[in-house]
Amino acid sequence: MTLQATSSLPRPWLTGIREAIPLLGGYVPVAISFGLVAIQAGFSTWEAVIISTLFYAGASQFLFVGMIAGGAPLWLVVVMTLLINLRHVVYAPNLAPWLTASRWWPWLMHTLTDQVFALAHHRLPQLPEAARLGWFTGAALLAWASWVAGTALGAIAGDWLMAQWPLLGEILPFALPALFLVLVMPRLTGRRWSLALGVSIGLAMLGTLAGFTNLGIPLAAACGALCFYLVKFDVGSKGVPR
Amino acid sequence: MSSALWLAVLAAALGTLLLRLVPLLWMQRRLRKLDGEPGADAMPQWLGILGPLMVAAVLGVSLVPRDPDATSWLATLIGVLATLAVWYRRRSLGWPVVAGVAAYGAVVMLAGLGM
Repeated sequence: MTLQATSSLPRPWLTGIREAIPLLGGYVPVAISFGLVAIQAGFSTWEAVIISTLFYAGASQFLFVGMIAGGAPLWLVVVMTLLINLRHVVYAPNLAPWLTASRWWPWLMHTLTDQVFALAHHRLPQLPEAARLGWFTGAALLAWASWVAGTALGAIAGDWLMAQWPLLGEILPFALPALFLVLVMPRLTGRRWSLALGVSIGLAMLGTLAGFTNLGIPLAAACGALCFYLVKFDVGSKGVPR
Repeated sequence: MSSALWLAVLAAALGTLLLRLVPLLWMQRRLRKLDGEPGADAMPQWLGILGPLMVAAVLGVSLVPRDPDATSWLATLIGVLATLAVWYRRRSLGWPVVAGVAAYGAVVMLAGLGM
């Protein structure tokens, strides 16, 4: 990715769109699989598209339709959806120092997914101040549109796709763990972080195998955090725990 | 969908929006108080720790196959290795996912042919 720290961008939104294109490789397969899963769970095409438009949060959408299809109480479905999305609270504060004074930023936070955050956290500090709003708008709206369009494709062509390629519904959902794996990998920056992340992953897997998928997520994350605070390895020469 | 289900959709959507929006307003206020200096102290440590661990937990849940038989576990392992291999080479978000899904799919299809 090219650095454009000082030069002005004539059309920053176009740059944002161009730089967000790699995100589509992860978004579209997961969105198609969500469309398929939602239809299989008894939702209509429009309902799946509305959920993708309004939630715009992959893992929680799968959980939402899965729990509804499984007959879970609605209050529990909402609570679990919000618990999964709780991780989003850390994103906006991390971007805040780079955001300009515009009334549009709060509304754009709806588009702040894991991947858009990762991209914006990397790029916003490099961009001239005047280009940041346009860049973020272009990148974030492309990602959002691809998510909604992918859901519609999966929902509309779901029956046909399943008839033509019965294994597609089994294969496409792997985009989800692959995507999260790619998001977790850059966090393995030392033994302390690796252990905490490993504990969270392992406990969440055990919880799922034991049938406690929904409760397992926040519990596994909390145990990972506990591990991070309790287990301290060596301290670096500058006093920075690794 | 029933009215109750629509309400659940709207509640979850609004809650998700607030989870993304309110921390921004809080942090912007905090930064204004700190005279706009983006310092490490402006971000509470627990907030920075819990975020990645939630992503890790969701990864753990999604790694467990829907029907956890030997073939699914093998496909998951191969898919993870393919994702990691491409990630180490490209450090991007898109292609590793494509490679992982392709490898996972190849194992599932090959296992299907062998039966």
